[in-house]
Amino acid sequence: MVNLTIDGKAIQAEEGSTILQAAQAHGMRIPFLCYHPAIKAIGSCRICVVEVKPGPPRPQPACTTKVAEGMEVVTNSEKLQDIRRELVKFMLINHPLDCPWCDKGGECELQNLTHELGIAEVDYEAVRKPINNDFDSKLIERYNTRCVTCGRCVRVCKERVGASAINFENRAYFTDLGSGQVPLNCEFCGTCIEVCPVGALINKLFKYGARAWEMTATPAICQFCGGGCDYEVHVKDGQVKRVRRDEGNPLLCVRGRFGFGVISSDQRLKAPLIKKGGQLVEVSWDEALDFAAQGLMQVMAKGGPSAIYGIGSPRATNESNYVFQKFFRVVLGTNQIDNPGRYNYWRAVEGMAQVFGWPEIDGLNPEVLKYAKPFHSTLTLSEEAKGKGFPFVMGQTAKLKEADAVLVIGADVTPEMPPYGWALMEALQKEDFRLIVANPRKTKYDRYAHKKLRYRPGTERALVLGLMAAMVAANPDLAPQLPAEGWAACKEILQGVSLDDIAKQTGVAVADLQAAAATLLQAQAPAIIFGNDLLAQANGKENVVAVANLFLLIGQPANAGSGLYPIAEKNNTHGVCDVGVVPNLLPGYQPLAAGEKFGKIWNKVPSTIPGLTLDEALTRLENNAVNAPQAFYILGGDMIRQLPNSQRIRSILQKARFIVYQGAFMTEVAKLADVILPVGVHAEVNGTYTNTDGRLGQTRAAVSANGVRPGWQIITALSQKLDQPLEYASAEDIFKEMVSLMPIYVGLQPGYRWPCPDLKADIKGTFVPFSVEPEALGEGDFTLIVGKTMGHSGSFTTFAAGPMIVNGTQTLQINAEDAGKLGVAAGDTVTVSSAQGRIAVPVAVNDDLPAGVVFLADHFAEPLANSLTSNSNLCRVNIQKG
Amino acid sequence: MDLQRLEGILSRYACQPADLIPVLQDIQDSYNYLPKDELKVVAERLHLPLAQVFSVATFFTMFSLVPKGKHVCKVCVGTTCHLKGGQRLAESLSNRLGVDIGYTTKDMNFTLETVACLGSCAQAPVMMIDDTYYARVTVDKVPKILKKYQ
Repeated sequence: MVNLTIDGKAIQAEEGSTILQAAQAHGMRIPFLCYHPAIKAIGSCRICVVEVKPGPPRPQPACTTKVAEGMEVVTNSEKLQDIRRELVKFMLINHPLDCPWCDKGGECELQNLTHELGIAEVDYEAVRKPINNDFDSKLIERYNTRCVTCGRCVRVCKERVGASAINFENRAYFTDLGSGQVPLNCEFCGTCIEVCPVGALINKLFKYGARAWEMTATPAICQFCGGGCDYEVHVKDGQVKRVRRDEGNPLLCVRGRFGFGVISSDQRLKAPLIKKGGQLVEVSWDEALDFAAQGLMQVMAKGGPSAIYGIGSPRATNESNYVFQKFFRVVLGTNQIDNPGRYNYWRAVEGMAQVFGWPEIDGLNPEVLKYAKPFHSTLTLSEEAKGKGFPFVMGQTAKLKEADAVLVIGADVTPEMPPYGWALMEALQKEDFRLIVANPRKTKYDRYAHKKLRYRPGTERALVLGLMAAMVAANPDLAPQLPAEGWAACKEILQGVSLDDIAKQTGVAVADLQAAAATLLQAQAPAIIFGNDLLAQANGKENVVAVANLFLLIGQPANAGSGLYPIAEKNNTHGVCDVGVVPNLLPGYQPLAAGEKFGKIWNKVPSTIPGLTLDEALTRLENNAVNAPQAFYILGGDMIRQLPNSQRIRSILQKARFIVYQGAFMTEVAKLADVILPVGVHAEVNGTYTNTDGRLGQTRAAVSANGVRPGWQIITALSQKLDQPLEYASAEDIFKEMVSLMPIYVGLQPGYRWPCPDLKADIKGTFVPFSVEPEALGEGDFTLIVGKTMGHSGSFTTFAAGPMIVNGTQTLQINAEDAGKLGVAAGDTVTVSSAQGRIAVPVAVNDDLPAGVVFLADHFAEPLANSLTSNSNLCRVNIQKG
Repeated sequence: MDLQRLEGILSRYACQPADLIPVLQDIQDSYNYLPKDELKVVAERLHLPLAQVFSVATFFTMFSLVPKGKHVCKVCVGTTCHLKGGQRLAESLSNRLGVDIGYTTKDMNFTLETVACLGSCAQAPVMMIDDTYYARVTVDKVPKILKKYQ
């Protein structure tokens, strides 16, 4: 600590902190303009100048001057105020007087500074700056005459977002913001708008929407990717006008910042619907619930409870999902439930569990707290509590920047999980940080990667095996840092691997493999990020086993940042798995055999017979098997869009005798339903989500649900109709019961993650052999990858204006050479066909794709990318012009 | 776009981000300006964001995004030249060429610019056409000088 005085007040500040930080920490205000807590200080605006003794005879910027022992700082002398006043006057010379209609009015830092410094008139003159506004860019407007050239937007875009999409043009008095004299072509994350102190950058969706002081802010959790960013929704007259994140971390992605339109979308389901004579008609809640209960009872009467199959939702709250699985296990008495993560994230869970074991926690205090704050765990830890299993090797986003080497494999980080991308940008500020990006396509982080491994789609396991073999070849005495079983046998296999064969199979040169292996081997805190490209393959679980093996070999989870970072696809993908919406595990990954404990609270011991997995259930119904499920209760989502082989899924669902769809939008699946129960989305309900880190986020109802209901209320209402009421007063109530049964959530509260950091981790792993057989992709000239694209999350974002403005139509991404060979140009329509189906789709020429590989996004309803796939996100296709 | 001409320039460099200014200088010399389409290619090849390329291209007066004339006439209006009639000289050139300061004649022969100092204050007022200095230029000398370039 350093002792200094600011304006005569003696304070202590941390060594290395700046005068501005020290003053702010002690509640003293130093005005500033170019400084922003989220970016590096550059000290260019000079508004924050202070007098420093001992020091140079001229004022020093507080944002870049470090505190020193015995320093005396004056922040507010008449001289300093004069300097600030003159500087602000320069900015005001030709600043337009459009404050009355500028969206920034009321929260404009220039306005506030002018007011604070009491500048009543500007006694300077200069030529007018030519107007060079940008109204053409999507979502973001630029007003050059309002700009005070503080450079915050330029720096945040470069340092934190990594897009470098805007920069200064021209110079001196005529300096303007520019994006290469073309409309913005960036990620449209809008962080530049957020950091702008004035109204030079304007959010088009918010423009003229409200004045800053008219809105009420409610904390909520972003509803899109697994990052689960916490933000505030700003509401005026019952309408969400914008979302904002806190000053220190203004980063959000295009979905987060511009996707709030899902709440007020006119495509929302507003009233319950039931199928009458083949038509969906609006009915009252009571009638719809009666109809749903009757339908389910009829199916049960014939086929027993296991004839009903439940599909949970990775977007619904933990509470809704918990009540949903309880509805099946207690009210219906079956384990026939699963969640769509089966085709994606659940593979990561199972793969990691194979290598590192399922989570177990020993040493909980036996008594359950009677009174805990809302959404706080009621369980507590004893002194010697211990935990083991895969969650203890999982990394957390906040620590990722401390890793010293990161391997990104099978993931396009920015569309899938922007928070990992921002963490990588922070890590990249460190000189010794190394980034390895392995992906068949060129992704955003290729620009920053120290090593790029461009492998053939579907050869991830071979690549991982090659990396491990290269490590053993480089260091024959290599042994894992973690206690591990099966290393001797694994090592023998690795020693027999020919790197040349791996190079042939993957298309990655031996030297590149060796270099990447050396980098990972040297790292003290290596991390591995993996995502959809690898998880959505039919062999996704095997892929994860391979990645987990690699981590067992090199991982050092005791060092901050080192860990496995699987990408959870949606905001509650992790949570829906945690709370037991799976056929073979109870909440908290507890075996069905542990049902006794649940019986005490639930008044009924759940069945010990595991249910079918989602793919088994669908296959049985497809084959008309004896004990195939006959009815589905589906919480949201659009399986027809998102699961491989859309026609197959559609025809299977058409076979079902009864479908209850509880969702927010009329998706393809909803159109097949017999009952549709409209549900509230994030800013309309109270509850919690568990993000990809295992961090609990609390979302609060900020706007009225307008007749739709929170998910859990619908489920409990349905249980009443079935004469076995599940009774809860609120989401808090459900959370309290849920956590009392879930040791893994011990000590959890909003903003914290599980496993509890107080647990002593007992990490052990087993090397599990995996095959390197490439995926069977079928026949065709091109390999199609179906994946995630910028601005979208599942089908959800396709109902929101913002993301659709940026990226509104399906296109086939193909590289220029292949397009040339096919004789097509951007915008031309091609027919893509596979063994499963064919679609017509416009072409977008994109050289990020290697020759022979094409890409489609799985978000759009028309045309459906998944009508081409069979059981994986990869398949071979033929492409014809026209 | 004359890709061959651009490739010829790029082939002289390793195409590192640090090569940006020399590459732009070569393009300026060869094309007399920096065509926007060419800048897009430069950004891609030098692994630089387009916004940064434009930031550099618009910062330096040696670069221009609009075609410059065959000859660039720079009149010094620095302190000494200003006292010795630099401004009058610039106005005279402007009248003779029929073009505002900072612009190019219709026949694309001359671009007229003013600069802050040419480093030859002892010979003020000074002007420069392409790489040639003209010292102690008085208004009546202008026609004779311009004739050489017409």
